Amino acid sequence: MTAIAAERYTGASIKRSEDPRILTGTGRYVDDIKLPGMLHAAFVRSPMAHARVLSVDVSAARALPGVVAVLTGAELEAMTVPGPDALMALMGWTGPTPEFTLLATDKVRLVGDPVAVVIAESRYIAEDGCELVEVEYDDLPPVVDAAFALDPGSPPLFANLGDNIARTHSRHEFGDVAGTFADSDRVVDCHIDVHRHQNVPMEGRACVASYDAGSGVMTMHAATQSVHVTRIAVAMRLGMEQDKVRVVAGDIGGSFGLKIGASREELAVAAASRHIGRPVKWVEDRGENLTASGQAREESFDVRAAVSHDGDLLGLDVKMVVDTGAYPGMGAMVPDIMEAMLPGPYKLAALGFESTGAITNKATYVAYRGPWASETFVRERVLDLIAKDLGLDPVEIRLRNVAPRTDPPAVMVTGRPLAGVTSKESLERVAELVDFPAFRRRQAEARAQGRYLGIGVATFIEAAPGPRAPEGPSGPMGMESMRLQLTEDGIVALFTGQMPHGQSHQTTLAQIAADEFGVPFEQVRVVVGDSDVVPFGLTGGSRSATMTGGVALHGARQLKAKVLDFAAHLMEASAQDLLITDGNVWVRGDPASAIAVTEVAQRAASGHFGADVDATLEVEATFDGGEGGWSGGTHCAIVDVDAETGIVKVERYVAVEDCGALINPAVVEGQIRGGVAQGIGAVLLERSAYGEDGTFQSATFMDYLMPTACDVPRIEIEHLETVPLDADVNFRGVGEGGMIVAPPTIVNAVEDALSPFGVRIHEQHLPPARILELIAEADPGQRLGPTALVD
Amino acid sequence: MADITLRVNGATRTGSPEARKTLADFLRDDLSLTGTHVGCEHGVCGACTVIVDGRAVRSCLMLAVQAAGSEVTTVEGLAPDGGHGGHGGHEGLGPLQQAMWDSHSFQCGFCTPGFVMQATAFLGDHPDASEQQIREALSGNICRCTGYQSIIDGVLLAAQRNRQEATGNA
Repeated sequence: MTAIAAERYTGASIKRSEDPRILTGTGRYVDDIKLPGMLHAAFVRSPMAHARVLSVDVSAARALPGVVAVLTGAELEAMTVPGPDALMALMGWTGPTPEFTLLATDKVRLVGDPVAVVIAESRYIAEDGCELVEVEYDDLPPVVDAAFALDPGSPPLFANLGDNIARTHSRHEFGDVAGTFADSDRVVDCHIDVHRHQNVPMEGRACVASYDAGSGVMTMHAATQSVHVTRIAVAMRLGMEQDKVRVVAGDIGGSFGLKIGASREELAVAAASRHIGRPVKWVEDRGENLTASGQAREESFDVRAAVSHDGDLLGLDVKMVVDTGAYPGMGAMVPDIMEAMLPGPYKLAALGFESTGAITNKATYVAYRGPWASETFVRERVLDLIAKDLGLDPVEIRLRNVAPRTDPPAVMVTGRPLAGVTSKESLERVAELVDFPAFRRRQAEARAQGRYLGIGVATFIEAAPGPRAPEGPSGPMGMESMRLQLTEDGIVALFTGQMPHGQSHQTTLAQIAADEFGVPFEQVRVVVGDSDVVPFGLTGGSRSATMTGGVALHGARQLKAKVLDFAAHLMEASAQDLLITDGNVWVRGDPASAIAVTEVAQRAASGHFGADVDATLEVEATFDGGEGGWSGGTHCAIVDVDAETGIVKVERYVAVEDCGALINPAVVEGQIRGGVAQGIGAVLLERSAYGEDGTFQSATFMDYLMPTACDVPRIEIEHLETVPLDADVNFRGVGEGGMIVAPPTIVNAVEDALSPFGVRIHEQHLPPARILELIAEADPGQRLGPTALVD
Repeated sequence: MADITLRVNGATRTGSPEARKTLADFLRDDLSLTGTHVGCEHGVCGACTVIVDGRAVRSCLMLAVQAAGSEVTTVEGLAPDGGHGGHGGHEGLGPLQQAMWDSHSFQCGFCTPGFVMQATAFLGDHPDASEQQIREALSGNICRCTGYQSIIDGVLLAAQRNRQEATGNA
């Protein structure tokens, strides 16, 4: 790390101000909170995937010394207000809306469905109490896969729907789909599966709910990506006015999309605290986290691709089914984003897209880092399948199809302009860095010795925030707000609704504001995590770099103007002649005039000014994303596949990324590497596995395998910063790209390694056993050339 | 309940944990040392790692009563009083913690105490460890945020600084 000039923090790998506390164990996570009189909750959970609840006998549990209350589903239902999932309601969902209770009442719908909650003096006693709750079940046929769920004969999970459709079938066409397919030289047909896997933050879900009967205020200490979304969710379900709910959050042990709003269990804990009148803590254990917190992906795609003999991808026609699991969640909504994003950076002339959502007896679909990522997997997989059939190199077919950077920019067939997209440059740079011809020689030598090396590339774009749209803010979730204040002691305080859980906002936003305002980094405070204090916001969707970075920049500029207007009165100068550098205000050309920003703040707070002087050194700023822009890039992996054991080793991994201007390169690279590690885990290790009867088979870390320091290689990263679009704000989001593009990169490399066997891969999960099956099942005819084509 | 006495971070502590109480819960609940985090409660993730009598152990797999009479070090006990990490260090950080700060080792911080304690124990025994040895030594600790490279870099930097300091003092 190099020394930083006092006034240029943005763009430098400033050391994180979060780190001293987390490195010394003095961070404050939810489980670290102890309130006077605090009780502990544990949930009784269903061992069945689908069953009627005939009876719940809590008498023995209630009699256990130390147990304060045991609440059943029916009792909690009486204390709360029915309604839809808060997040889906906020996002404007209008499709099928299952009616559900916080704890199961008449039936259970997945293994791990909460049936009762035991509140006790300690977590140990609460779990003892759970053992004493007797639940009688009557089996129902489990609906374990989407195909059965879509069968009208499957037993409906939710009585008010009458079927298991989470998202009704829709088809949209962009461009001339029929004409494009009719005029193409070839049509490639395939079915692609993406398996179920999940977020697994190292800290699971957790909350402490503390209801104060005197004031009628519920305080929720939450692990959440948005204190405001959690506040809305609690207020809705508990039937409270929003201003009577305060959500506070400290350090959060990761989330990756899991902790948005409030889960059924967290709402039940809040209701229990209100009922009992004492604070109640719930921290899920790893078994609960893996079984019941939520899972992601499990999408399948019937894909038809219209192709020219030369390898032009002319059109795609995709039928998608998403398995949304049991309770309402993001799964029903995610096909809309996939449809919009499927063309990627390519010159695709036509897209047909159909989607359906199925309700099954599995954990609820939740957002997981790049929730729409499967569109990239499908597209990048299909491109490689086409390339193999035509004998094209994977970089060559992508360069052939990628839209050139033109002015005005090319427009995706689904409507968004590809402004500033540098996919072509990233592909070319990867090819330079990796030296494909040298690899092919090494690959041939290795094969001669019975070793199977493979190379894979994949490219992606991410709307982080996306190009400016005429109809509104470019960010996917609207305007970003920030309140900025010069405090009495001279601190520039930024109040943001972002809720960092590893993203380093305390550091990165301070870098931007320090530069723009003209104070040292240490003189900026980033205030997060209190719904009574911070404006609305949400950390997610790779949103914060552009949207919050942008509002920090513009807000600091506005605050500075206000401070200078006030300082002009003090210094008897024109505000236009004043500067702020290194924490001092001074008259241009007269360094001796300098007074500290701190002194200006103290004078403003002293309050003796005329009515014409505005001494409130505070602004409310908003930002609409400016010109926006895309993040994106190309990744390349070299793998070594052991054909005897099926073990895949990632030998080399190269990422060329473009997220515009970097705020803090070390933070950016941490995001990229973390996402890539999750992608490697998704392909080679992780799977949320269910048996045919809906039993959950991966409820421990011995069964759900996480990538370790020996599985993730050193990741080489290069940045392109080719195209500034906005006058001021060219930071773009980088949180999700690694997890979006690493799975196809790895799978493409594995297929390349196994090409001597004629292996073609149409799935994402490739543990050793599956690698051996693929080799055994491979069609030897594929070794020689195309077979899956319809001419 | 059993009365136990042990030394934690250099101080003598007593308590009366239930026989079934884990060392992790005893440290967190009874001694209010919440720097030790519980990540899986079945001994796989390593977040709860502490040093007991010189060895890194998973405090979720050890009962508090088993630690009676032992010398326990948690993440709170790493920095010597008034100590600093050198290299323009932050007060209250030990050398490994300082190197990890300099290397941007962590993101959300939940796994951090376990990595810090595991790496402390390992470097103590293997001051010249290679990158691959460090990776293997830390492969029993799970981090979901970083992809590990920044953590490995922090440990390598700490080891290098330790060697430089040893040479300088020789």
